[in-house]
Amino acid sequence: MKILIVDDFSTMRRIIKNLLRDLGFNNTTEADDGLTALPILQAGGIDFLVTDWNMPGMQGIDLLKAVRADEKLSTIPVLMVTAETKREQIIVAAQAGVNGYVVKPFTAATLKEKIDKIFERIDAQ
Amino acid sequence: MEINKTVQLEAARALVTALESDNEASVEHQLAILTQSQESELFHEVGKLTRELHDAMNNFNLESRLVDLTENDMPNTRERLNYVITTTEDAAHKTLGYIDQTLPLASELKLTAEKIDESWHRFRMREMNADEFRLLSKEIEVYLPEVKQHSEQIHANLSEMMLAQGFQDLTGQVIRQVIDLVEEVEDNLVRLVKIAGKHIENKPKDNKEVDPIKAEGPQINAGDNPDVVNDQDEVDDLLSSLGF
Repeated sequence: MKILIVDDFSTMRRIIKNLLRDLGFNNTTEADDGLTALPILQAGGIDFLVTDWNMPGMQGIDLLKAVRADEKLSTIPVLMVTAETKREQIIVAAQAGVNGYVVKPFTAATLKEKIDKIFERIDAQ
Repeated sequence: MEINKTVQLEAARALVTALESDNEASVEHQLAILTQSQESELFHEVGKLTRELHDAMNNFNLESRLVDLTENDMPNTRERLNYVITTTEDAAHKTLGYIDQTLPLASELKLTAEKIDESWHRFRMREMNADEFRLLSKEIEVYLPEVKQHSEQIHANLSEMMLAQGFQDLTGQVIRQVIDLVEEVEDNLVRLVKIAGKHIENKPKDNKEVDPIKAEGPQINAGDNPDVVNDQDEVDDLLSSLGF
């Protein structure tokens, strides 16, 4: 299971990476916005995408839309971890096909719960 | 202007002729023409001044963003910077708190390990009697689960300290917004100075469309805004209402 973590702040990428490692996901890679994330995704081998929303270059919501629009990537589960808390934003993310939405600041338990839920749903399919 | 001059000149000449020939009706007529042309010039000047004033006012209107910045964005920035102070303070206290909790756990493990190590050494040197050995076994029995428990607690505390570092992302987003605002204020001030220096620049008013899902970073006064969720539970409720 290879996970791509996309956030413009390296501290946040590190936090998510460490939390994922605690949850048993050791194989992670990083990108600092949608523009750098897309080529990594297109190169293949990414099984799960964790992305921030507010990033310079390409925002997380546009990355999500790009992933869903790409035939080869469209089924990758996407977890959004973001400080964006407007209802309209959450609705748009849901409509764009996000699999989970975690608001910052978050707890280790919340991250685990959302990831577990995503994989439960995938396993059920 | 030229036409006006010609009219005036013609009227003046006709006036002289009329005066010389004692033609009273013509004198009155030519005087009326002259007065009218002067009035129209006056009106023209007033009109020009009015237009200039209007343009100047409009140019100040162009700078209404500056007023908006002062009235809304500046107080908002104060709140944002206060948010940065509070968030960094909270994160520092949280981290320091976990350090305070963790250090005694590590010291306790170290002290007990040293004590057991010393006793174990005496046992290996056969310097220990049966009673002392029984005591040592008991100490080891208590110590091992304590190592496990303390290590788990230390791990949990370190995870919390790590999460607390998320403040850098949250405050970084807010500081970026403040930097953008400072740049905008600077631009507007430069334009204002240009206008004051009469180098009026007729920049079209930029009608920025409001994007409802534009990324805004952390919400500063989320509690006052019904459009914003306050915590993860509200996110979950909203998503489940959407059939998630």
